[in-house]
Amino acid sequence: MLEDKQLSLLQDINLAVSTGETIAIVGSSGSGKTTLLSLLAGLDLPSTGEVYLKNKSLHQLNEEQRSQVRADHVGFIFQQFLLISSLTALENVMLPAELANDENAKQQAIDLLAQVGLSERANHFPAQLSGGEQQRVAIARAFITKPDVLFADEPTGNLDKQTSTHIADLLFDLNKQFGTTLVLVTHDLTLAQRCQRSVEMQGGRLINDQNLCDTNTEQLSGNTKTIQAEVV
Amino acid sequence: MNCFMANWAKQSIRLLKHELKRGELTIIVLAIVLGVASVFSLAGFSGKIKQALLNESTSFIAADRVLQTSRKIDFQNITTEPIALSRDQITQKSQQLNIKQAQQVLMSSMVFAGDVMGLVEIQAVSNYYPLRGELLVNYSTNTNELAAVNAPDLGTVFIEEKILSLLEVTIGDVIDIGDSRFVIKAIAKQIPDASFSVFTSGAKVIINIADLEKTQLVQPGSRLTYKYLFSGDVDAIKALSVWLKPKLNDSQRWYDIQSKQSPLANALNKAEKYLSLASLLGIILAAVAVSVASRRYAQRHQSSVGVYKAMGASFSHIRKLYYLHWSLLSVVSIALGLLVGYVLAQLGLYAIQDYLPVQLTLDSVSETGFSGLISLGFYPLIIAVFTGLLCAFAFAITPLKELIATSPLVVIRGASLTPSHQMFRMRVGKFLIPLLALLLLLFVFSNDLMLSVSLLIGGILVSALLLLFGRLLMKLTRNIGTKAGASWHLALANLQRRAQANSVQLVSFTIAIKLLLMIIVIRSALLSEWQAQLPEQTPNLFLVNIAQNQVDNVEQFIDQQGITASDIYAVIRGRLSAINSDKIAKQVSKEQTDGSDNGRQGVGRELNLTWREHLPKENSVVQGKWWQNDLTDANKPQVSIEQTLAKRLDIKLGDSLTFQLGSEVITVPVTSIREVNWQSMQPNFYMIFNPQVLADYPASYISSLYVSVDKKDQLQKFLSAYPTISVIDVDAMIAQLRKVIDQVSKAVEFILVLVVFAGCLVLVAQVQASMEEREREIAILRTIGAKGSLLRNSILLEFVALGAIAGFMASVAMELTVYLLQSHLFKMQTSFHFEYWLLGIVAGASFVGIVGLLSCWRLLNMSSVTLIRRTM
Repeated sequence: MLEDKQLSLLQDINLAVSTGETIAIVGSSGSGKTTLLSLLAGLDLPSTGEVYLKNKSLHQLNEEQRSQVRADHVGFIFQQFLLISSLTALENVMLPAELANDENAKQQAIDLLAQVGLSERANHFPAQLSGGEQQRVAIARAFITKPDVLFADEPTGNLDKQTSTHIADLLFDLNKQFGTTLVLVTHDLTLAQRCQRSVEMQGGRLINDQNLCDTNTEQLSGNTKTIQAEVV
Repeated sequence: MNCFMANWAKQSIRLLKHELKRGELTIIVLAIVLGVASVFSLAGFSGKIKQALLNESTSFIAADRVLQTSRKIDFQNITTEPIALSRDQITQKSQQLNIKQAQQVLMSSMVFAGDVMGLVEIQAVSNYYPLRGELLVNYSTNTNELAAVNAPDLGTVFIEEKILSLLEVTIGDVIDIGDSRFVIKAIAKQIPDASFSVFTSGAKVIINIADLEKTQLVQPGSRLTYKYLFSGDVDAIKALSVWLKPKLNDSQRWYDIQSKQSPLANALNKAEKYLSLASLLGIILAAVAVSVASRRYAQRHQSSVGVYKAMGASFSHIRKLYYLHWSLLSVVSIALGLLVGYVLAQLGLYAIQDYLPVQLTLDSVSETGFSGLISLGFYPLIIAVFTGLLCAFAFAITPLKELIATSPLVVIRGASLTPSHQMFRMRVGKFLIPLLALLLLLFVFSNDLMLSVSLLIGGILVSALLLLFGRLLMKLTRNIGTKAGASWHLALANLQRRAQANSVQLVSFTIAIKLLLMIIVIRSALLSEWQAQLPEQTPNLFLVNIAQNQVDNVEQFIDQQGITASDIYAVIRGRLSAINSDKIAKQVSKEQTDGSDNGRQGVGRELNLTWREHLPKENSVVQGKWWQNDLTDANKPQVSIEQTLAKRLDIKLGDSLTFQLGSEVITVPVTSIREVNWQSMQPNFYMIFNPQVLADYPASYISSLYVSVDKKDQLQKFLSAYPTISVIDVDAMIAQLRKVIDQVSKAVEFILVLVVFAGCLVLVAQVQASMEEREREIAILRTIGAKGSLLRNSILLEFVALGAIAGFMASVAMELTVYLLQSHLFKMQTSFHFEYWLLGIVAGASFVGIVGLLSCWRLLNMSSVTLIRRTM
């Protein structure tokens, strides 16, 4: 709500993402990419419309139930890395596994840190790490629970080109290794190109859905007033 | 053990360990530690000091409480008149409360040594006398060795030194008192409850109360004073008071040292008020520090909570995690606070050990079992832990709740998004809970609900005014800033831009500075008042019983020796027998005499009356006119009365008072009411007549003098020619008084240091609270190419301006508060303190400036890249 005038952030969205698919959501600033991501991940609720994640109707769940869905199925990577500054790299990676009561959290975290090349930095605090290193920790943290779906919000947005490439490699490698569904919000078309599918947003609507594997472009139907987003 | 610990607990402890180690919780820990430490040390220290001072000063009445009566309360076998309160009842109650008792009976009597006789004051004391203070005697005239003793053995007496010459006797001689004979065992050098009054007749002879009966001095109609002494712990004495007071009749007085009108009681009462006030302000400051620090803590943790929630942590997981984290933090801080407080109190007590009575340290060794350490007792411990818990939870609960309610969306949006339906509730809670907690703290410490509520409401109003005023000042400075240099411009623009955050900061700076100024100002006013009370050359000797024909010689001697002396006053004994032809007994009801320790003597017994042409120096007329200033009626008979007595007896200007002087009766109108400085160590009188009334009556004379040590011999020599003049040496009393005042001053200074420290912490916490935002700003300014020096200067100036404004507002607020406190709480003369305004402004500007700059120093010296990386 803005000065009594209803402002629709998203409109006429009907999006389904299949298991194991990697999809990039692209678009200019303010086009609604991040809002869509927060709805898909159950961080926020739509005012109208339906959102399903792993067959769970997120729009009907309360905050606590959505938390549980996230704990069971979702991983995150953020533009600002969002590591907890008072925990070490290792402890940051362990955190989601601990939340899922995984008794093997520490060993898995050590292994994942090794995979992202940060074994030596395990006991460093975020402030002692470079941006690229922090994002590698964030990637390790995202994969530790072997999530069904990984949401990444501009994962390379804060990094230089070379580091970005390295981070993207890591992300896609691990994604392949774990067979995770990846929903990626980005400005970066090069990064978007690495996904199997790319959807483009403008003014809160999906205007383009492109299958990058066979480059077939398909126009989304623009008639529905509801948001329909589904990740299976 | 870890395997069995829930994940939230593990995470909570891990978080706490790292944050403590990395210094992220320093401010909050310090705030709680300081709150607890100051309460613990202040309560412990001031409690001990108060106790020590009371112990010291109670020696002036040889007990904690005294029940004084002119009629005996069923005392052993001596015949008594029946009265409502029985001795058995009192004994039973005292035993129940574990209170020690002693008795004494005072009377004037002639004593004989062979053919020589003299009028003395007999003090018959029971075996436990004195309960407080020391009765010091000297067993031989050849040595100065003093021994602390209790009542003399049966058949023996202790005498005051002047009796040696009065009766021409020495130690070992025999004297007759009534029908009984006694051996002089020793010379009493210090009698703890020797009267403050200079009018007490003769020297003292102390006998054992068990010997009193055989002297046969107690006869129907004898004029006796019975004193029942009680001592015990504070609560027991309080309980005894509560039980006893309603049972007392008009002829019985129940008093402690503080209800005696003496300079000492006055100093003690004020010191006690000051110490409580300072402790209270210290605690408020610590609570403010906790509140500020916890808000920052919550802000800092918001993104972590967002991450936890995004990763699927449930609300209850986060609640448990953070409540445990906060609880552990509080427990650690409270424990640390107790430790620091204990050390501080020990250091404080150690530092003033020399000034403290021996009793304190002796008691304490047995209490703690550790020699040298002083037990502070349970009360300070309980009150400190309570304060710690209240500070840690009540002042932090709202920020914590807000933190836990953080939406997971902050991971995306980066800002706090508290759901709107919670906003109002939280806003109300934000203020309501801390305010209630503050009220509770105030009440616990002051034990006065009205005072607490009015302090709180006053505080809220003042804060609101300060907030408005502060905004106005910041706006004003902004306008000035546009005309100033780049650094000033930036500094004042920042100040204005952050007006909302800054006005909150400003109010807390202001309150902190105001409280500090207040404590400093009141302290120095009290100290100077105390100093003025006993200036150099305070009279240390009284000459009493000077005969009319000796007055000229005494005056001549005083002049010759250049001795500082009061005027010589005539003393005529007389009894006030009627007011406006009403017999005096009817005028005095129980209510009117309750708590009156001085008036009753002026009614029931003979008064010392005097006449004067001029108003004495330590007196001022509050109603009516002094006869000298009233030329038309100057020669008519009239009397001036002291105001407390006038109030007590409900005597007004124009009332006529009838006095019985020996066989003569005189009736005179009251033409003035005077305020008398009873603490002046000068001869003071309830009733002063004009010369026409009393000048022709036979009188004895009195004067007070300051005689330095080197002139004492000459005085002795001079007085040997006038054996009837009595000398009362109050040197020892004054020395003791000075000592007590010294101790009180030390206590006051110790507490000042702690309160200043608490104030500093609030300032640091407040500056720290704005750090993140500043970091972002510095990063931006750096990015756009601002030079280091510009940034440094603008930050310094912003804080300096903030500090100066706070200092100015604090000075104004302090002046108002001090005026109210001086006039209402301390009942002392009010004064203005413009010199402290400058101190407030300069100290505010420099302290806030320096703390602000130091806190930002690390940021200022970071490279642009690091800064940007940290904040973007």
